[in-house]
Amino acid sequence: MHDRDAILAELRATLIELFELDAGRITLDARLYEELEIDSIDAIDLMDRLRRQTGRKIASERFRSVRTVSDLVDTIHQLVNET
Amino acid sequence: MLKSNTTMAPPVRTAARPFRDLYYVRLATTGLSFMLFGVGGVLLGVVVVPLLLAVPGSGAARRTRVRRMIRIAFRFFIGFAHHSGAISYSFSGAERLGRPGQLIIANHPSLLDIVLLIAFTPGAGCVVKRAAWRNPAMVIVVIAAGYVPNAPTDLMIERATALLAAGECLIMFPEGTRTVPHRPVHFHRGAASVALRAASVVTPVFIRVEPPSLSKSVPWYRLPVPRAHFALHVGRDIDPAAFRHGPPPIASRAFNEHLAATYAAEAAAN
Repeated sequence: MHDRDAILAELRATLIELFELDAGRITLDARLYEELEIDSIDAIDLMDRLRRQTGRKIASERFRSVRTVSDLVDTIHQLVNET
Repeated sequence: MLKSNTTMAPPVRTAARPFRDLYYVRLATTGLSFMLFGVGGVLLGVVVVPLLLAVPGSGAARRTRVRRMIRIAFRFFIGFAHHSGAISYSFSGAERLGRPGQLIIANHPSLLDIVLLIAFTPGAGCVVKRAAWRNPAMVIVVIAAGYVPNAPTDLMIERATALLAAGECLIMFPEGTRTVPHRPVHFHRGAASVALRAASVVTPVFIRVEPPSLSKSVPWYRLPVPRAHFALHVGRDIDPAAFRHGPPPIASRAFNEHLAATYAAEAAAN
């Protein structure tokens, strides 16, 4: 999963599975906390999952600046394309 | 002058009360207890614990030593406050505290909750307000004892989980901060999440303070009549394994609700 579309697709599937969200709510500009109700504890579960999927650990400082689904896609994109 | 008839003002007449129940005697023992706690805390933080750290040993051995010293100091303090008549307490089921991988949770009505729990739980670590790491008298103690700061949340969860996974016993207050007595509890999900990640068993402790004392709503010098009684009661063990299925965010919500319901049922029974 190296391009943004593939990342978004996989992230959407993960969010649906972890948080039982409706697919329609997961748009690029949906805000994780306010709109998708993903709180700080959920974020840690999400980080654990993403680490298993990508094989890389997202630094928590990095995740703290994430606000929207789009931000998260960007962060994962940077992470998997880092060498 | 006082709004409530359950607190004690300077006496208008000298009633035939036991000496230790007289207002000024109680004011003195209460004040002395606070002073002992303050002075003892500073001594522990600035003298005793640094000395203990100078004794050679592995990291784990040092931590154990520091935790034991804190427990002895808290036990002594509670003994003083109890026997001088500043407070009274009862603690049922304390022998079930301090098992490997045990997460102890408790409601948080007063300042003394953590002191009482640590005093009666061998070897316990605990999750403590991060402010303690900025307090010069406390920072050495909390670091040396290997306590876990409550923020940021991700680090708290990581460290609390590691501590339980290593077979230590951990104390957490899921309400996060002291609460106004007799209100329904609101539990943050952090404790439930930590429990599902690593606890071998979750043991609830129910704390009642009657009349409310050392809570956020009452100044310390307004002495309750009768004296504050701290009743601690260790509840039945909860097996977190029963909740370890499905996606973690859903599971920790379900477990958190179960914990809150356990406390609501206990409150309703009293």
